Amino acid sequence: MYGESGLKLVQHAKRTLKLPHLPPYQTELVRATTREVRDLDKDVATLLEPFAGSFDPSSEPATACALLTNHLCMRRNKRCLLAYHRNRTDKLEEMCWSGVDVLERQQQQPNRNGKEGGNSGGDGGSSSLSPEEEEYVRQYSDLLAAYKGQWTDIDLTGSLEPPKDLFIDVRVLKDAGEIQTEYGAITLTKNSQFYVRQGDVERLIQQGYLQRLS
Amino acid sequence: MDDIDDILAEIAVDSIPQETRDLQELTRCWVAERVAPELLPWPEEVVERVLERIRRQIELVEDQTGDMDPKTGFRLIVVQTELERFKFLVRSFLRARLRKIDAHPLHILNQHKDSLEISRPLLSASEHQYLTTHQSLLATHYNSSFLSQFPASLQRLDDTTGGISMVDKPDEDAAIFVRCLRDVGEILIDGTETRIDMKRGDVWVVRWSAVKQWVEVGDLEVI
Repeated sequence: MYGESGLKLVQHAKRTLKLPHLPPYQTELVRATTREVRDLDKDVATLLEPFAGSFDPSSEPATACALLTNHLCMRRNKRCLLAYHRNRTDKLEEMCWSGVDVLERQQQQPNRNGKEGGNSGGDGGSSSLSPEEEEYVRQYSDLLAAYKGQWTDIDLTGSLEPPKDLFIDVRVLKDAGEIQTEYGAITLTKNSQFYVRQGDVERLIQQGYLQRLS
Repeated sequence: MDDIDDILAEIAVDSIPQETRDLQELTRCWVAERVAPELLPWPEEVVERVLERIRRQIELVEDQTGDMDPKTGFRLIVVQTELERFKFLVRSFLRARLRKIDAHPLHILNQHKDSLEISRPLLSASEHQYLTTHQSLLATHYNSSFLSQFPASLQRLDDTTGGISMVDKPDEDAAIFVRCLRDVGEILIDGTETRIDMKRGDVWVVRWSAVKQWVEVGDLEVI
């Protein structure tokens, strides 16, 4: 039926909004929707053929109606496809901003599937990004890095919580090696606790090496 | 009432140091940018001045860190705390702008082109660059994913035929809170019979579209 695969795409997109991770790319659905558009376009061409460019909608209401339906369906499918892709790229951009290395995570996924089993739902070990999306992530990261580079003093990807204290208590969740601060080097070993300058460890908190203690 | 007094003082005398006024202005820009549904013009001068000061403070901190004197140590902590706050302000401000740029790219690009004519640019050079690059990335992505297989007439991303414009706009009629810094007089809300008389010190909840022009000249402050 017209528009059915488009609807499924939108439903996927809506579901993705609430998920913490990105579900696999629906290659089949995207292809089916695109194919439907091409078929509809062919239909339009065949319908218009006998009129040889001099089609008058008021004299042929039935054909006009068929044409209109086809056109609307094509447009709707396009909107569905755009919405689906935009939704996913938004999600990917968000990951880029929060410092998650999307591509690296994709490569790790086969190993981790065993552990996460339940929520990765049928990933089948393959990447959940389409090749186009991987390319997009790479280029967006470059763009972000370029934009960020103009604001080196500010650290654009830093915390968006208003800072209260210069120093905070953190606990080390994973070994992170040695870091340099202006008060000397600190070795971050698992399960130890430190009182450090927030600016020095912000990245490590985001990456999940440290946990902030309130 | 403090804010209003500050404004009045600013008009009357230059007794308040530039630094304090910049902080106030930046804070005001930040609040306005986070609340207003539309993107506001890029406040280049304030940002330039603030960034310059941040740079100097960072240098100061780096210069004096080696100093073992407890007094300097304490002063540095104060300076660094202030630095962190300034950085947060600028960061949050830039991110609020980027969020809007990402949400309505094509609309903002058109607005930006118009704004160049009245020489009050909406975007900074780097924001403009970010926007155009991001748009071309998205376009390439759509094209390689599906759009290139579409009939040529349906490949555009800024199509307005068929009764629906593809260029999305922010909700200009969203309600916002404003405080009057100067007497504005009577305002007629479009499409209704409502007239409101705005006097200095008043706080109103109104449509953004109705008061936008006064916010831009600084008679009203978004809160």
